Amino acid sequence: MVFVLFSCAKPTEKKISIQNEKLKVLTVNYPLFYFAERIGGELIDLNYVIPDDVDPAFWSPDEAALSQYQKADIIFKNGADYAKWMNSVSLPSSRIINTASSFEKDLLKLNNTTSHNHGPEGEHEHDGKAFTVWLDLELALKQAEIIRAQLVKKIPGESALIDQNFEKLKQDLLSLHKELLDATKTYDNQVIIGSHPVYQYLSRAYNLSLKSVHFEPNEYPSVKQWENLNNLIKENESSIMLWEDEPSPQIQIELDKIGISSVVFKPCGNQPSEGDFLSIMHNNLNNIKN
Amino acid sequence: MKQSFYLAVKYLMFYKFRTLVLTISIGLILFLPLGLEKLISESESQMLERADATPLVIGAKGSSTDLVINTLYFEKNKIEPIHLGLIDTLNNMDLGYAIPMLSAFKARDFPIVGTDLDYFSFRNLSIATGRNLQLVGECVIGSEVANQLDLSVGDHLVSSPENFIDLAGVYPLKMNIVGVLGPANNPDDYAVFTDLKTNWIIMGLGHGHQDLQSINDPSLVLKKDSTKVTASAKVFMYNEINTKNLDDFHFHGTMSDYPISSALFIPKDVKSGIILRGRFESKELKEQIIVPSVVVENLLQTIFRIKKIFDMVFALVGLATLIIILLIVILTLRLRKDELFTMFTIGSSKYKTIEIIGFELLIILSLSLSIALVFYWITGFYIETFIRQFII
Repeated sequence: MVFVLFSCAKPTEKKISIQNEKLKVLTVNYPLFYFAERIGGELIDLNYVIPDDVDPAFWSPDEAALSQYQKADIIFKNGADYAKWMNSVSLPSSRIINTASSFEKDLLKLNNTTSHNHGPEGEHEHDGKAFTVWLDLELALKQAEIIRAQLVKKIPGESALIDQNFEKLKQDLLSLHKELLDATKTYDNQVIIGSHPVYQYLSRAYNLSLKSVHFEPNEYPSVKQWENLNNLIKENESSIMLWEDEPSPQIQIELDKIGISSVVFKPCGNQPSEGDFLSIMHNNLNNIKN
Repeated sequence: MKQSFYLAVKYLMFYKFRTLVLTISIGLILFLPLGLEKLISESESQMLERADATPLVIGAKGSSTDLVINTLYFEKNKIEPIHLGLIDTLNNMDLGYAIPMLSAFKARDFPIVGTDLDYFSFRNLSIATGRNLQLVGECVIGSEVANQLDLSVGDHLVSSPENFIDLAGVYPLKMNIVGVLGPANNPDDYAVFTDLKTNWIIMGLGHGHQDLQSINDPSLVLKKDSTKVTASAKVFMYNEINTKNLDDFHFHGTMSDYPISSALFIPKDVKSGIILRGRFESKELKEQIIVPSVVVENLLQTIFRIKKIFDMVFALVGLATLIIILLIVILTLRLRKDELFTMFTIGSSKYKTIEIIGFELLIILSLSLSIALVFYWITGFYIETFIRQFII
């Protein structure tokens, strides 16, 4: 029995200890990068390999970027089927941390599905989940909490500093959350149109009645898209449209004609050229207030 | 003495067939116990080495031997699958890390092993040519797979379909070989490594097909509205994954529910290993946890018992051979009576006659020993086959 007990484990220091090198951390989007940066600070070797002109949700890493992910000690993923490229590449599962693991049951399903009938499981559907979870700042805080827990686990000697950094971030997120709750009260009886289906969690967290179309701020919509928007306005008597970025003047002129005012609420999935996650969210808050 | 050796050689060469039969018979008798000893001791050390290098194996309840053999030797035993979600559960315990393993399919008789990158670093497997896995649909092959199938980086390997009749079932997948492992002298040399997701695609849990939103062929699309497209089984499925169709591949359902054969668990220290085993034994986790070295030692005990029987048989056969050789010598002397008398009458001493016969025996024994040693050397190349055929 003693032999059995002690023969079970060959201690392996590999990867579990950090040794003298900093923990290499990568994330799949900017909000997680920001949280990790705030919590880990100088304690971690945090890298951001996503180009600034892409949406990280639909980006795929090239060989060099993938190699970085493969070498990372921790990869923080967003969960909710975000960054589908992760399903097409080889990554070490023990180093991938799902930051949405504590609220899986609260994730929202997308409506559009594709169903087909083949293979051993017969008819099945391609469903998806809404993924911009960080727009609900309480969920963002839960993601940050998972980052905190992982960093404490990997760098136990620095847990006090990590906790301290996390508390500061927590205060910032909660304060912003409260301000957003207050600001969105003015929209209580209005239907808001989302230019893109990315505001599901924002809508749920801040009690917004939201309907979505599929417009791009820099692409003039087709006749069919305008038709969809007009139908939506007729049905819901809406006068406000949320945009991921400032819509082009051409679009704004058309929107003015049908009495729609634009409010920019940037999801901030990718690293902004100016400011950071918190400042962008504050700008969003101000845009909503105005 | 030189003359005696010359005469002995000439005599043996004159009776070539008899010399050959005697040499081979004695050679085989010498080789058999030595060869079996080598096979068993080398197999034992190889098996124990691999088992010792694998701290813990976790899998569904059932035969622990089958589980260990599937996980360590990739033999396609009928073991119940477990879910990938268990890997996350194990990793979240902070007791070490888990490596998922899925060995259920073959490609040209070599096992396809689905795992993740941690496996290569855990086993210290080095890429001899090419690179490691990056995308689904790629495979890295063991050195023996490359040698025996004459494959290299850039070639393709097609998974063997399980059922040729079920056209809507498991599809053969053409995998791109992106790397060849250096020799490891263990079962990894005989495996085709892929990412777990590639194995799930072979299983049919993930697949790639035409974009259903853009096709209009009524025979392909059964139903289509603004929110849902229902396609028929006629939809063209990709049997190869490349950069052009990579984005069309997708998986259904929750990945944490997807099957794996087992998991390797590498505890961060001895205490963590014991804590984890305790959690399985206290039924906190419903799967079984195994110390592979214990299972392999039990398995080898049976082999040792059989070896003892063989040793006895070989001892008896050896004794019988010795008696036969003695008989052959006596009979030969009787047959050579006239020849020996002639030698004696022309002046040869009795001692000279014994010297000639002694040399004859010495030459036969030396040749037999050489044959035994050649066979012994060749045996070294069949250790892995012996393990697969007779032990696991």
